[in-house]
Order: sequence, then structure tokens, then C-alpha cells
Amino acid sequence: MAIAALIPIFASLINLDHPGHYITVGVISISVANFVVVVLMVVVFLLAIFLRFPKSKEHQA
Amino acid sequence: MTTFLDDKSRETIVSGLPEDHDMWTNKVRRKFYGKLPPEKLLPDRQPSYVSSWIYVFGVLTVSALVVVLLSGAILAFKGPSWWHESGEGHFVNSLHLWSVEFFFFFMVIHLWGKFFMASWRGKRAMTWVTGMLAFLASVGTAFTGYLSQLNFDSQWISTQAKDGLNAAGVGSFFNVLNFGQMLMWHIVLLPLVVGIIVGIHVVMVRLRGVVHPFPPKGAKTHPADDMPWTGKYRRYDILKEGTIAMAIVLILTILFSVVFSSPDEKSITLQSWAQNDPIDFVTTATSELAGTSVSAAYSYPYNYVPDAGQKLGPFSLPSIFGVTIPVNPAQDFVLKPLETVVYNPALTSALQSYNSASTAQQTSWLDNYTKALDKATASGGQVIVRNGTYGPVPEMMSSLLVMARSGGLDTSLLSGNGFYGTDYTKPLLFLADSGYMAGIAQAQHLTGSQWGMMNETGNYPGQAWLWLYTFFYQIKPMSTSGNADVLVWALMIGLSGIMVAVPFIPGLRAIPEKTKLYRFIWKDYYRDEESKKV
Repeated sequence: MAIAALIPIFASLINLDHPGHYITVGVISISVANFVVVVLMVVVFLLAIFLRFPKSKEHQA
Repeated sequence: MTTFLDDKSRETIVSGLPEDHDMWTNKVRRKFYGKLPPEKLLPDRQPSYVSSWIYVFGVLTVSALVVVLLSGAILAFKGPSWWHESGEGHFVNSLHLWSVEFFFFFMVIHLWGKFFMASWRGKRAMTWVTGMLAFLASVGTAFTGYLSQLNFDSQWISTQAKDGLNAAGVGSFFNVLNFGQMLMWHIVLLPLVVGIIVGIHVVMVRLRGVVHPFPPKGAKTHPADDMPWTGKYRRYDILKEGTIAMAIVLILTILFSVVFSSPDEKSITLQSWAQNDPIDFVTTATSELAGTSVSAAYSYPYNYVPDAGQKLGPFSLPSIFGVTIPVNPAQDFVLKPLETVVYNPALTSALQSYNSASTAQQTSWLDNYTKALDKATASGGQVIVRNGTYGPVPEMMSSLLVMARSGGLDTSLLSGNGFYGTDYTKPLLFLADSGYMAGIAQAQHLTGSQWGMMNETGNYPGQAWLWLYTFFYQIKPMSTSGNADVLVWALMIGLSGIMVAVPFIPGLRAIPEKTKLYRFIWKDYYRDEESKKV
């Protein structure tokens, strides 16, 4: 019960349940939330291919 | 207890006794073991070039899928209404939503990475094909999930999506307005399909291994794409990596669920519509009776309307299946529900008068009443129009409004399907004809011209992966065509087919080699190999 009572408090930490915000350029209209997701996807992809991966011991087959 | 095989080698056990070699079971075991021995299924070594962060997105995707399935299983266990009624349920719904967002997030990055590696090389085309099919099946599964939410978002998406599916002929047997059918697709059929395809995909990865890098500059020898790797290997603990990935996905999902929760815009009903906007309700109901509403003029799969319906060139795809979900708006939305009202002599008399009148007379009454509704006022739960020649129509509409405001019309439109009403086709079609529903959708930025198909209510991320589908509706000829839905569907099916078939399409499959983005992915390998030659 205590956990159930805490959930709405946690849930309202950052309340996204307000009227949405949108970016509109010509025929293109995208919600800020979707835009953030797409930008994050591109950024994470670029980081994934550019950042060095920890080196581990190699040996010949 | 010991058996005669206990002191035998693994190969001998797999092969079985010589006299058993003709047995089906024995043959399958030998074939399976030959192709996928344990060291391939659970490898502890990988070629040394498998040394980039991009490789972790496959296992992250599978981990997110596990969290999706687990959170979905809890939601299924408690039933479709639970998450609307309790804090715990809403929290589990949030886990489901965010794990789906992470699933697609990781899957798209995994897909981009595999594309730029040209990962279909060396007889690995089926690995790519199954990966793309898993992506497409996941989009379908997520779509049915949005339809199964039982809130306004799902109501609106279903009323909009039906046009595309109906235009493509799919709506004849895949009815997005039927909640029961969509829920079963979402929690049984499509997860099964996704699970099987992902399973095959993972086995294909284990079977063929990861694709080799393109040859380094100046390389004189390099293993062929379809041959085993002859270079260096490194340690690779697949179970440890999977466990870490699962922990990361779980932490992220719980964190996002706690911080952001999930949207749940309350669903609308015929009752709330009639209570909040009685004039719009009566105007829409009158158009249903007059046969001038969108639903009344809608052809397959609900009705046969000559020359109506969308066509792809000369072909009418929905006509192949015909009327599979019969709906007669005048009868189903207005007259039949009114006939269920008892102890109302004025209504009984009005219905008799309306039904015995000629079609011309009915049309005249309805035309006059429709025009009068333009200047109607609402007071005390009634719609008031100026005096005119409307016959029994005002009495009928007044009774229908009372019925709707009491919640009786919602029940009536569902009860035709039996006690367990899970098919919302009729109430949703009726609601979709209203200005009330469209007004709420407009305010929530969900309409077609607002790219609504990829939006979620509030500030939540929606189905961003539907961007191309939504985009096509905004440009000509689709934006001005009466056949927009079938054109967009044809385009999407064509493009999806191209994505699946990338390994077989010259030019398209050469893009990764031309862009050379792979040199960043395998940068350590190229640096080591190319420095040797200096």
C-alpha cells in the first residue's frame, strides 16, 4: 500500500501529461517528444560507431 | 542410474548407434548438432573485429523485448481495464510503454549499424531478412497495442487507421474497431510471430556468425565473406553481456516509468458525447438517419455503395472480400436502439409515423430538421430548434438523446453482439462521424494533417517509427487524392518489401561500401591491419 501511495508522487516528478509542443516546418510537423527521440537515436548511433570500445585480450585462432 | 552411453564421447552420443541412423529423430539430432554445436549456440569467443559499441544494440534489443513481454504478461494477467483503475496497474503500463520505446530505439540503431556493415554478405541474407521481418512484425504488434489501450488515443487511432486498412482490403478481416479482436492479436498472435521471427533471427546469427569487415586497404589476403574467420579472436561472454544488457534495460525502463509515467486520456462514450455536446450528437444522428454521414456513404467492408470506395488504378481491393462487417447506420445507430425503448407512447407513435411515411416525406422532414439544427440551442439536456415541418423527427431525436445521455445507447450498440460486448465497431463509427470526437483529437494534435498517427497524447513520445507512413499523407498526390489511403498503403508495402530485399537489390546493397561508414565501426581492426603494412 505504501508503494502504491508513492507511485503518483514519483509519476508526477516530470509530468508530461500537459498539452503537447510541436515543431512545424512546412508540411512537416513533429512533436517535441518524438523529435527528441529521433535526435537521441541519431546521437547514440553516432556515439556507438565513433567511441572506442574497451580493448580485450586477443589471440590467433 | 547409468546408461550404455555414459562413457561415450559427445560425438558418439549425438551420432547414436549405427543401427539407428535411419531414424528421423537421429537424423534431426545429427543435422542440428552439425550446424549448431553448443560452442556456436553459446560462444565464448568472437572474431577480434567484433569490437564496437554498435554490436551491443542487438542484445539490448532482445533484452528490451524480454521486458516488453514480461510487463505485457502482467498486464494480460490482470486484464485490460486494470491499468486504468489502480496506481500499480498504471505503473506496469508505464513499464510496458517505456520498454516498447527502448525496444524500438535499440532495434532501429541495431538496424542502422547492420545496414552500414552490409551484414548480409557471406550467405547472411536470411539474417537480414528475418531482422527486417522482426522489425515490421514489431511495428504491427505495437500498433495493435496502441489500439488496445481502451482510452481516447486508441479510439481515435482505430477510427483513422480503419480507412487505410479498409482501402487495402485488409480491414475486411482485420477490424481495428473490434477491441476484442485487436487485443487477441496484440497479446497472442503477433507476440508469437515476433517471438518466432526473433528466435529464427538469433539462430541465424549464431549459425552464420557476424559478418567480416570489408578488406583493409592494400590487403592481399582476406577471408572470403562466407568462410570462417582466420584472424584473431577475443574472449566474449555472451551470458554476461546479456545479463548486463538486461540490467541496463530494466534500470532505464523503471527510471523512465517512475519519472515520466504514461499517458491515459480518458475514453469518450456516446453518453459523454450526448452530455457534453447534445447539438452535435443530434446533428450527427440526423445525418445517420438521412444517409448523409461518412459512415452512411462508406462502402466496403460495411456496405455496398455503388462507385464508392478507394481504388488502386482500376482495382478495388476491398471489393474482393465484399461486405464482411455489415453496418446500416440509420438502422443500427438510430432506429433499432429507439425500438428497444418501452413505455414511451409518444416515441412509439413517432416511429410508426416515420416508418410508414414515404422516402420522399422522410427526406423532406430530415432536410428541414438538418437545416434547423444549424441554429439550434441546447437547454436542460434537450436540443431546441425553431418551429418547422419536421414530422416525427424531433421526437425521435429527443428520445435518442435521452437514451444516449443515460448510457443506454452505448449498451444498445454493443449488446447486438451478445452479453460480452467487445466489438466497438458501431459505437466507434458513430463517434467518428461526429464533430465532437474530431474536436478532441484536433486539440490533442492527433488528426491526419497534424501527423497525428505518430503522436501520443500530451508530451509523450508516440509511434515515431510511423513517420514515413504519416509523411506520405502530407504530400501530393496523396494529400489531395480520394484514393490517398490505398496509395499510401501501396507505397509502404512496396518500400517495406525493398527494405526486406536490400541484400538482393544491386545499387542499394552497395551503399554501405560506398559510404564507408563501416571504417568507423571496425576502426580498431583497420588500424591494426593497415599499420602492419606500413
